[in-house]
Amino acid sequence: MNRREFLAAGAGLVGAAATAGTLSGVVWPALTREDLLPGAPPDVRLTPDAWQTADDRLSFAVLGDNGSGGRQALAVAERMAFTYQTAPYGLVALLGDICYYGSLRRRFDTVFRRPFGPLLDAGVGFELAIGNHDTGLHFSDDGLSAIEAELELLGTPGRYYTASHGPVDFFFLDSSIPGLYGPRASEQLDWLGDALASSTNQWKVVAMHHPPYSSGQHGSTPGAQEHLVPLLSRHRVDLVLSGHDHDYERVEPQHGVTYVVSGGGCKTTRVGRSRFTAVAERTLQFLHVEVVDSHLTATCVRVDGSVADRLTLRAREGS
Amino acid sequence: MIAPAVAVRSEVLNAGVGSMDDDVLVASAVVGAVEMVLAWTRLRNQERTATRRLHVWIASFNALIALALTMPLLLVLVLYLFPDEHASLANRGFPLSALWAGVQAVAVLLAESTARFFFRWLEPQAP
Repeated sequence: MNRREFLAAGAGLVGAAATAGTLSGVVWPALTREDLLPGAPPDVRLTPDAWQTADDRLSFAVLGDNGSGGRQALAVAERMAFTYQTAPYGLVALLGDICYYGSLRRRFDTVFRRPFGPLLDAGVGFELAIGNHDTGLHFSDDGLSAIEAELELLGTPGRYYTASHGPVDFFFLDSSIPGLYGPRASEQLDWLGDALASSTNQWKVVAMHHPPYSSGQHGSTPGAQEHLVPLLSRHRVDLVLSGHDHDYERVEPQHGVTYVVSGGGCKTTRVGRSRFTAVAERTLQFLHVEVVDSHLTATCVRVDGSVADRLTLRAREGS
Repeated sequence: MIAPAVAVRSEVLNAGVGSMDDDVLVASAVVGAVEMVLAWTRLRNQERTATRRLHVWIASFNALIALALTMPLLLVLVLYLFPDEHASLANRGFPLSALWAGVQAVAVLLAESTARFFFRWLEPQAP
């Protein structure tokens, strides 16, 4: 073998090794895990204001980690529109990560107006719990600017806030570390304690991005069970909704509180089972929740319209 | 050539989407068929003029590596870096298959160029 043959063959072998590493480590996971393919937005017309909200009645949807704007995100949004046709709801609680692959200001049409056009036209309201992909460099100028843009675009009153709808008091948290569990946690936890203590509605629902309990790829959020869970139990919160892991999980009630992970808004990742797992499934999904009198029913709807899980809670005595 | 489309399709179906258009799979198959013809023609020509058969195999191996790397890499880069442009095109009825095939065609071009570059380097006297 002469010098040129040796160098050419060597380049091929080195290239093969580098290619194998790049493909298996970066490229293939990005191509298969991310929701990168563009698709068509839902072509559905919905009857505006078709839902009923009263002192003892509310319907809402819950969606987490939907921020790709890709084919799978659009399929979930379409399923949400179809569900509205048969079981209308006037509110969507977003559990964070509403925008991947760039800033929300630049991608607002792709990740929000385009998929949710039918729901927006029908007058459905959206409320947001901030996620880690929404904040980027949390507490840096860039991060705060991104958060402010999100809050402004969605008309959200603040990084953490309460909202009352019918018989439900919602508590939307900013669970981004160190927003809730880090050294500056006390401010938001103090606020949450006060807000929960002064809540007089029949149901208390907490919405946040990072799950206190999860068997998914990220797992349970460090610090949540020490700092947050006792507070939620003490104030008799009924339901805690979170995303972050791209799956559906229902946790066995922990100290009287039911925890649900609903992060299958546009992509999925593996999910296992833990001692606290009641239901776990890797699937594209959203939650449809109906509160009627003293019952709350949450249905996990897969992207094909089938039901993955149904959870029913009874209102607590004295609430 | 069709591996990226098959992988994406399988991921989408595993995620619970009941069906998925075969647009990218068909686009990959078409570009793959074109590449098959190009590669066969190149191999036949190079085998005819090569002083050593080893040179043809080294050039082809390097082309295969270039194709294996650039095809999924370019797809990820193009889809990841310009998602809003693609969404805007999709809104106007631009088929994703054209974009997918275009990116794969660039990868084929790079692979064929790699094969020709290494063959010329190993066979400087070839016509």
